[in-house]
Amino acid sequence: MIREVHRDFSTWNDLPWKFEAGTPAIIEAVGLGAAVEYLSVLGMEHVHAHEQALTRYALERLANVPDLTIYGPSAERRGGVVSFTLGEIHAHDLATLLDREGVAVRAGHHCAQPLMERYGLAATARASFYVYTTSAEIDALAEALERSRDVFAF
Amino acid sequence: MDDVYREYILDHYREPRNHGKLDQPDVHAADTNPLCGDRVELDLRVKDGRVTEVAFQGRGCAISQASASMLTERIEGATLDELRALTPQDIFEMLGVPIGPARQRCALLALRVLHEGIGGSYTGRYTELDEEGAGD
Repeated sequence: MIREVHRDFSTWNDLPWKFEAGTPAIIEAVGLGAAVEYLSVLGMEHVHAHEQALTRYALERLANVPDLTIYGPSAERRGGVVSFTLGEIHAHDLATLLDREGVAVRAGHHCAQPLMERYGLAATARASFYVYTTSAEIDALAEALERSRDVFAF
Repeated sequence: MDDVYREYILDHYREPRNHGKLDQPDVHAADTNPLCGDRVELDLRVKDGRVTEVAFQGRGCAISQASASMLTERIEGATLDELRALTPQDIFEMLGVPIGPARQRCALLALRVLHEGIGGSYTGRYTELDEEGAGD
């Protein structure tokens, strides 16, 4: 925020006002409050337990999909995300194939290019779970992966 | 099936046409898609303003590589002016399947490389398509 503005120079207000020009992030603050309340009502211990249970189930269920490689540690040591590749199918092709089965995943280097390099990968696909994810949806993912395999037929 | 992974697309991906390099090509161009690492390298032999031989190499998803393979078939025998006039729409028609916004960069990589090599209209326009998943 300014203190004075002239035709050829300006001066700035003191900290912190200097950096707080315009409308404050009121909507964002209210939204954050609502999100915190939502999670508090659920209870973070339940959120964690649900994610852990789903992640364990996903690692178990996806282990049965032929040619699927899962990256990362065991369920206790990860959050509700599972990154994988399927045979030689490029992760972006895989994401498109899963999308048309109604399964949304992220594909790419996940803002972690050095890690991709460490694994010798161009990209992975990544499923993530949250409080509203169900184990039936993980079954749907596994089945969609099996059908994706048939499309490329390797 | 009205679907991007139709058999002829997968066929071009599995067995790319005109695959390889030319010895001392008249035109060589290469580019990489920064978000997904797809790569296409293109070599042309040109005589009297007309492409007499073409080869490409690359790696990446099925759409980027099939698009490159199909483009090389279309290029052979064409004049450079004809090739400079190619548009993204021509590529989508060539592929013959709907390409969603998230995959257009993949489909257009080969055209970009061609136009970088011969000075066409479709070069360096990543930003237009980059809104989605820009951090990825």
